[in-house]
Amino acid sequence: MSTSGYTRRQFLRVSALAGGGLLVACGGGGGGGGSNPNNPQPPGNGGPSDAEQFTVSEFMRIGSDGRIHILVGASEIGQGALTSMPMIVAEELDADWDLVTAEHSPVAARFNNPYFGGLLQFTVASATTRGYFDNQRQVGAAVRQMLVNAAAERWEVPADSLRTERGVVYDDLNGRSASYGELAESAANQPVPSNPPLKDPASYRIIGQSKQRKDAAEKVNGSHIYGIDVDIPDMLTAVIARPPRFFGQALSVDSNAAMAVPGVREVHTIPSGVAVVADDYWSAEKGRQALEVSWNELLAGRTDSNDTRGEYSFKLNLPGLPIRVDGLVPVAQLAAAENRSADYFFPFQAHAAMEPLNVTVDYTGSKADIWTGSQSPTLDKTFASLILGLLPNQITFHTMSSGGGFGRRGNPLADYVRDACHVAKATQKPVKVMWTREDDMKGGYYRPAAAVRVGASMDNQGNITAWTHRAVTQDVTAALYAEELLDTLAEGQLPPLKELTDLETGMPYDIDNVLMDAHLTLKPQMPSLWMRSVNKFTDVFAQETFIDDIAVSYSRDPYQYRRGMLAGKPRLLAVLDAAAQASNWGSTGGGRSQGIAVLNHWMSYVAQVVELSVSDDKVITLHRIVSAIDVGTAINPDLVVAQVESAVIFALTSVFYGEIELQDGVVQQSNFDDYKMLRMFQVPQIDTVVLPSNESPGGVGELGVPALGPALANAIFAATGEKIRELPLKNLGYTLAEQHPA
Amino acid sequence: MFTIRVNGEDHTVDVPEDKPLLWVLREDLKLTGSKYGCGQALCGACTVHVDDQPTRSCVMPISAAEGHNITTVEAIDQQQIGRLVQQAWQELNVPQCGYCQSGQVMAATALLTENRSPSDRDIDEAMSGNICRCGTYARIRKAIHKIADEQL
Repeated sequence: MSTSGYTRRQFLRVSALAGGGLLVACGGGGGGGGSNPNNPQPPGNGGPSDAEQFTVSEFMRIGSDGRIHILVGASEIGQGALTSMPMIVAEELDADWDLVTAEHSPVAARFNNPYFGGLLQFTVASATTRGYFDNQRQVGAAVRQMLVNAAAERWEVPADSLRTERGVVYDDLNGRSASYGELAESAANQPVPSNPPLKDPASYRIIGQSKQRKDAAEKVNGSHIYGIDVDIPDMLTAVIARPPRFFGQALSVDSNAAMAVPGVREVHTIPSGVAVVADDYWSAEKGRQALEVSWNELLAGRTDSNDTRGEYSFKLNLPGLPIRVDGLVPVAQLAAAENRSADYFFPFQAHAAMEPLNVTVDYTGSKADIWTGSQSPTLDKTFASLILGLLPNQITFHTMSSGGGFGRRGNPLADYVRDACHVAKATQKPVKVMWTREDDMKGGYYRPAAAVRVGASMDNQGNITAWTHRAVTQDVTAALYAEELLDTLAEGQLPPLKELTDLETGMPYDIDNVLMDAHLTLKPQMPSLWMRSVNKFTDVFAQETFIDDIAVSYSRDPYQYRRGMLAGKPRLLAVLDAAAQASNWGSTGGGRSQGIAVLNHWMSYVAQVVELSVSDDKVITLHRIVSAIDVGTAINPDLVVAQVESAVIFALTSVFYGEIELQDGVVQQSNFDDYKMLRMFQVPQIDTVVLPSNESPGGVGELGVPALGPALANAIFAATGEKIRELPLKNLGYTLAEQHPA
Repeated sequence: MFTIRVNGEDHTVDVPEDKPLLWVLREDLKLTGSKYGCGQALCGACTVHVDDQPTRSCVMPISAAEGHNITTVEAIDQQQIGRLVQQAWQELNVPQCGYCQSGQVMAATALLTENRSPSDRDIDEAMSGNICRCGTYARIRKAIHKIADEQL
């Protein structure tokens, strides 16, 4: 993170407050400012009460009964944004947490994530808490001050003689109090303080508490409404027949048999395929099966997994664009007692969120409502307005809870929203565009395949004197770094590549000479996208397994070897030590082996230890997985732990099974039978240690993914001597045994 | 026309005989708690109880559902064990994205109704048909044990 970026974010926040755009007081009426009046379902968790509502700012409503409803600009994709974001506001507001509810905000600039330069609502890159933390605190503190000022005016006492606690303003000197609900109306007319004081973290009473998720009740009784559950009057359902290869075009369509299926209403050719529109899903699906389409595949993608591997392996021999250059690697290589390198390969992977993609559009020609689970509502809405020919203010975009995202619902190209808008424009009727599991699996925008070569130079004691790392992959990450791009351009500089991509691995070890370079491979016909932890999944796998390769050959303990190269990195050392301690590093018996790996990512730190045993026929029994993390201030520690547990399972699935294969452009996998997921019987004991910290919050959602694979591979290496140089493990003959933790 | 008994009430629907029960529940009866995940009985998101047996509604044609007692997640709180499962799921912050949890709740309720003291192996056998992409398995196991140990 560049210093200039930090400065500019500060400026944005302050100016937004001073300019009055952040907090506009307008009393009365629940619909003003930020509600979604057209939402067909009630807002989450009970929503606003029957009591009179006062819009105290554009970010929240306070009812006369004291209920506080907070609008959240980040998307709920399972990580708990609709719980943790309001916790931050409620902390500074001194709210009664039991009276706080939350829902997704409208898509509007005032809800953009400051992390992305305040340009976008974009729930990717573990950036929700990191991005919104300061701004949510400011909002809470400002509104608290307005409530205090209202009480001071009412009682004719100085505001600084009052205090607040759990939704009540107290005048201790005169023995009186008033609830926020009683004060809401007059608070709404108070001027907005421009620089409200923020709490000392020592006095937090909500932040740092393991609160229950606000959406837990709805998510266990079936009442939580996802995009796929949206139902509006006279809604039709569509499925899209897509070409066998990416970006093929429908050449001719015979829709007679499809139209003969009862319930099928219309067939429309759109840029990405042929849409069958019907009264219900089942009719649409049967109509699609009856449809006959011949495809023009002259311009279609012909990506082949084997060819990709060959091409990337060849490119590993060619210098790439420099990403990080420390010291003089060639000199160090000449002086070294030993130079060695290793090549790695990683396949394409599908996100495979449990809720298949879907979008509902109600388009009337002059306005539109769009409902979908999205990590990228700003860009989705922008593409929708271009396709539908509407101004952004003619579109109401309803961000729905996502049944999983993992990056797939954060596509800057808005593929699935564009498709749905084309269908809606053609039919001019309310329509839900459904993806089947097979559509979702074959629909592209995968984690891109990658090849990595790591190299190291050692002196005769096995100390690393030079490190090289070369990656070949499709670069899908530049948009993540919009803020740095703007900062550097504003300063008249070209941005450094390492800040525009996710290709700087963050290699933390104390090595004087480092050369990282990369080939930014462009494959416009092979739709790729970030997937949970992006390039760290592949780059850190290579980096952290190669460290063990070296350590073991010089008879060094992998934990101690890392320790020796992390002097001056106290937070990394702390998680490394905590993981080693919690896992009883080095003192396992009974044929069990351990592997360790460490990572610093998105201002957070993790070390993971995998303990396993391997049978002669390569059946792996996982015994225990320990993660030690430092995420700075943990807003809701139990949800942080839940994210790490989630990441462990997600990574295990990727490491053992994750592979989308393409043969001459055709995706071979289709459903959960040939694209396997980890299941209950394979899950070992999982323990997570959260180190206490008052540092700024770091990223959490992706943190537990990248180090898990190398820790696992290092344990296999310790058990068998086999060096894992490619994934998934199923292709190397490994299987997972059944687990029955005691 | 088919008449099915769902959550104690009879419903008559005019749908093709091969329309899966899942889509009848979701589209015709507007009971959207049961989720579509795979359409091939591979993930368990659509799990309902048919005569108290956990069943993948995505592959059960409506014609086969006629004459049976169907319970969905919307009514599982009418059963004591269903209620306990929902409470434990909330207490332990089990759901993340939550999309698979209707099916998980239905599978766990069926397990605990059948077996009030399930071993880890019993849990593996009863729950391994339900995929959770968010990886909430460890908490699901813990919640089932908690109910069995403390409340049954």
